[in-house]
Amino acid sequence: MTALALRSLRHRLPAVAATFVAALLGTAMMASFATLLESAGGASGEDQELLIIMGGVVGGWDALIVLFSVASTVGIIADQRIREASLLRTIGALPRQVRAMIVYEAAVVTVVAAAAGAAIASIGGPALFDALQRGNLITSSSTYAGGPASLLAAAGIVALVSTVAAGISSRRATRGPAAFSLRQAEVPARGLRWWRVAIGVGLVTSGLVSAVITITVTGKSDDAYAAMQTSGSASIVVGVGLATLAPLLLRLLARPLRPLLGGSGSGHLAALNTTRRAYLLAGMLAPVIVLISGAVGTLLMVGIDSRTLTAAGDPEGVGDTITTINSVVLGMVCLFAAIMVVNAGVAVVSQRRPELDRLWRLGATSDQLRTSIVMEAAMVAAIGILLGLLGSTATAVPYSIVRHEGLIPNGQLWLAPLIAGLAAVLAVGSAWGAQRRPAR
Amino acid sequence: MADHTHALAVEGLTKRHGSGAGAVDALVGVDLSFARGTFTAIMGPSGSGKSTLLSCVAGLERPTSGRVLLEGTDVTSWDEARRTRMRRDRIGFVFQDFSLIPYLSAAENVALPARLAGRRVGAEAMRLALERVGLQSRAGHLPSALSGGQQQRVAIARALIGQPAVLLADEPTGALDSATARDVLALLRSAVDELRQTTVMVTHDPVAASYADMVVFLVDGRVSGRMTAPTADAVAAQLAHLDQLTGVAR
Ligand SMILES: Nc1ncnc2c1ncn2[C@@H]1O[C@H](COP(=O)(O)OP(=O)(O)O)[C@@H](O)[C@H]1O
Ligand SMILES: [Mg+2]
Repeated sequence: MTALALRSLRHRLPAVAATFVAALLGTAMMASFATLLESAGGASGEDQELLIIMGGVVGGWDALIVLFSVASTVGIIADQRIREASLLRTIGALPRQVRAMIVYEAAVVTVVAAAAGAAIASIGGPALFDALQRGNLITSSSTYAGGPASLLAAAGIVALVSTVAAGISSRRATRGPAAFSLRQAEVPARGLRWWRVAIGVGLVTSGLVSAVITITVTGKSDDAYAAMQTSGSASIVVGVGLATLAPLLLRLLARPLRPLLGGSGSGHLAALNTTRRAYLLAGMLAPVIVLISGAVGTLLMVGIDSRTLTAAGDPEGVGDTITTINSVVLGMVCLFAAIMVVNAGVAVVSQRRPELDRLWRLGATSDQLRTSIVMEAAMVAAIGILLGLLGSTATAVPYSIVRHEGLIPNGQLWLAPLIAGLAAVLAVGSAWGAQRRPAR
Repeated sequence: MADHTHALAVEGLTKRHGSGAGAVDALVGVDLSFARGTFTAIMGPSGSGKSTLLSCVAGLERPTSGRVLLEGTDVTSWDEARRTRMRRDRIGFVFQDFSLIPYLSAAENVALPARLAGRRVGAEAMRLALERVGLQSRAGHLPSALSGGQQQRVAIARALIGQPAVLLADEPTGALDSATARDVLALLRSAVDELRQTTVMVTHDPVAASYADMVVFLVDGRVSGRMTAPTADAVAAQLAHLDQLTGVAR
């Protein structure tokens, strides 16, 4: 089975590349923050506090996005192997062997990618530390002390999460009788597992709780940045929570939007896909929600902060630097989330190849298939924008209230349509690119 | 001018896969015509070009040379989109693997080609189509809730509902046990008898071939013989003979 897994790796390069990129960039980012946390050990007083905030809190949001993205990418890709899994089982492979093959593949790819990501972080970590020092956020008396421990820990967590996600998905690929799934070549539609609903609801709730705490507790603190620590992560946490519930939300929200697709052949296909196969397209919806929710929420917060900092009191005069650091970090997170949107768009459409070929044989023209895929992506983008903007309010609204701008921030509202538009272009564009040859 | 007495005809049909030393001639100058309301079985050893013939007729593949005439119209040079619409509107195709769409119910699968054409299938037409294949009580079932034989009957209803010029079936019973296969064959036969549905079926099973009016034998991409009013025994004997011939040729 090991030899088989290695051979199948080489035959499935695009899917492997998607996992690899997610784990590589994810580890690079996570490990860079982890080195700050490790450096905090040797630092003193305020330096230590800042390094813990940067490494632990900011790095923590970042880790949430990274781990969620890696897990969902691995999940989409394991789903692609259902046909192959059934085939192997009809010729006598045990479900256990098939599962081992899928898990082994994910493990090999992510271990290699995570190791490479840790190597990148061994340069990225010192660079980040240096930037903090030059921005006078930490004094020159502190020294960078990131080492193998933090790099390996981050790489290990990424590889572990990816392997566990592959394990869960592989169970789905081998559920039910082999011959049955071979004919269907598709995961039977299923409801969300209870633990997934629990995680999703838990994350959304905890994001909302931090929003409430921001308004009622930390917003009243003397420390101007106390509120940022509780509200900064709220939009990311709520976004990831909503993304966890994506299959459910897509099914619910796509239904009322169906009439928009029209009654043409392609509109019909798109309507069916967005509602009946929500679990598949949810792979594309999830990163759109996270990208919009996290980026819009946090960027609005940074904007509010820079407008109101003087009024809120900035005794140490570090406001500008914090804004800069926030922007850099956000830029990285956005870039990562954007890559995940493309990743998922390509993976989801590639997964549908056999089905698209079947539809073509039955008389769907290539144009119809193309149009329906773009319509689906547009629908997913629209729903992702709606949910993402909803998630972003978990950060933006409390922070705006705390800094006396009212329910709605006073400026930079154009960020919302800008980022939403960008996400829509990425989602639709990647689907468009991936479908270029849906049929022969 | 076109011959309107034939639902389907192929003239000098040649299909070469690949090029150079590795090229395979799947069809070599095949001439065949299929009169309206007839049921023809195409038989031959594995690799003799049977599936390629159906694919070329259905526009799934483009022949290297020769012509395909559907109800007298030369469709050979049509572009991809036009051939796809022809497949949707004028051809019914039944595949060995059923090719149902897993997330659509039986009735929705049957209605799919019409929906792709931007039309709806009326309730009465749908009822009749499902009744013809004995699945009126299964309209709302997903393929995963149907047996193999039932799935293939859904596929047949889907192929018949558009009243196609020709029904093409590539080993329609290949994935079924023999009892279920007989039901499916009887269904195809009744479509020929009751609807005058021109039907061309690829099979390697002499029993299946005996349901047809005529059998055409292919060997190495060429028509090597025909048999009218076939019986299972006569077909089996002829096949054994063909296997000998190809055995000698190699
Ligand atoms: N896409 C293809 N590329 C190369 N060779 C092919 C292709 N499709 C079929 N062939 C070859 O053409 C010949 C006829 O194939 P096919 O029509 O599938 O045979 P049959 O259905 O009678 O078993 C075989 O030798 C097969 O290997
Ligand atoms: Mg064949």
